[in-house]
Amino acid sequence: MTTTRGNRAALVMLAFIVVGVPALIIGYQYGLRPALADHRVVDIEALAPENGGFSPDVVRVEVGETITLRFAADDVTHGIAIGPGLGIDLGHVDPGHVGEVTFTPQEPGTYTYYCNTWCSADHWRMRGVLEVVDPNSPGGVNVQLDPIIEALGAASVDIDSEPEVAEGIFPDRSRGERSLDTVEVPPSLRDPDWRLSHSPAEGLEVLQADNPDTPEDVLVDVVAYLWSETPPTDEISELFARNCAACHGERGRGDGPGAATTLEEPVAYPEVSWHRRGDIWYAKIMRGGMGTDMPNFGTLFTEEETRLLVDYLRYLSFTES
Amino acid sequence: MSQAAPVPAQRRPITAGRAILLVLIVGVLLVPIPGFRTPQTHNIVIDASQFEFSPARLTVNRGDIVQVTLTASDVVHGFFLDGYGIDFRVEPGTSQEFTFTADRSGKFRYRCSVACGALHPFMIGELVVGPNELVWRASALAAVAVGAMLLHARKRPSA
Repeated sequence: MTTTRGNRAALVMLAFIVVGVPALIIGYQYGLRPALADHRVVDIEALAPENGGFSPDVVRVEVGETITLRFAADDVTHGIAIGPGLGIDLGHVDPGHVGEVTFTPQEPGTYTYYCNTWCSADHWRMRGVLEVVDPNSPGGVNVQLDPIIEALGAASVDIDSEPEVAEGIFPDRSRGERSLDTVEVPPSLRDPDWRLSHSPAEGLEVLQADNPDTPEDVLVDVVAYLWSETPPTDEISELFARNCAACHGERGRGDGPGAATTLEEPVAYPEVSWHRRGDIWYAKIMRGGMGTDMPNFGTLFTEEETRLLVDYLRYLSFTES
Repeated sequence: MSQAAPVPAQRRPITAGRAILLVLIVGVLLVPIPGFRTPQTHNIVIDASQFEFSPARLTVNRGDIVQVTLTASDVVHGFFLDGYGIDFRVEPGTSQEFTFTADRSGKFRYRCSVACGALHPFMIGELVVGPNELVWRASALAAVAVGAMLLHARKRPSA
């Protein structure tokens, strides 16, 4: 009698554990929580691309609709950010933890949520699309052409030309800063847009024309300083460390741990910086390198961030490591 | 009459043997161990990858200054050093530098502190801070005890 009652109690307990507990969890996840939340909550599983990447990898949201995205990493640590221009960076999300962000997109367009911590050989493929749709004009997303890349195309500049390697030239921006006052600097070299569309080597020719008596190595240093005039902010060096350093190395010497996995060796900036136009770098970052494994960042970075990154590459190139 | 008088508790006489034993024990516990040299500075690059540290074993002397440059070559890893309470995380492409003084002797494990995959729990290395004072003193103490027991047993072969 007692045994039977005990058995029955054990059966009820077992049924609760096997059926009840999962039902409670699933019920909370898909029933209770969405019902209680005043806005949509989307759970996104984050795995290295070899294991499936983001799922779901497309999230649609309307302009002005508040949404919560919860990113759960299941294999290794990922870094979660959403761009361009949303300024969302959740930092590292470790396995077993959840990175959460709640926001209300205001601008219609296509955004990308992506991993910005090297997580596997295919790390850069770890991207998902956040579509922000205007309910009044669905499907009407304006595609804006990038003026800098358009200008390169109009001038038929070959973005994929092999970089010319500078030899026998050792530009140093801090030496250049010290001798800046001793040199006559023409206004064009003061103009950030002019500098973006001209290589330091071209700048040296212009500077030499105005300062025929100054030794060349002094002018080289001054050009190095002018081309890296913008001091890097913490945000930009962080952006570089997160997205570029894994292959290009934290000092931009092409020696990051991901360098062994790419089709072509990652560029070491000091080698090519002297003959490289900034707008070509800009285009390569935005569009990616053709056949080199350099991914495109145009769907992640704003135009301003990319320009600052180009300045940072100059800064790394012309600073002793 | 004399049998009724209580026998006073016998005090153990301090024999030469006991005195020597006491001196030996105190000596073993307190004598400074030779081999402490001027502290050196070690510059060590430790690379963390799935699922090992390279190098997986570090040997330093007590008092040495250890400057570590920690790198990761595949995914995010951590470096937790038992006994020293040191915990850092490192992501591929950036290096993490830290310095500590090896002021505790012994063998300490360092392990990955960020879940990095299936074999993450086995990602372990060890730091040996020598000479290992505790082990040496404990062995010497054990040797003294064994010696004293042997002597004691020989003095009284059987009851």
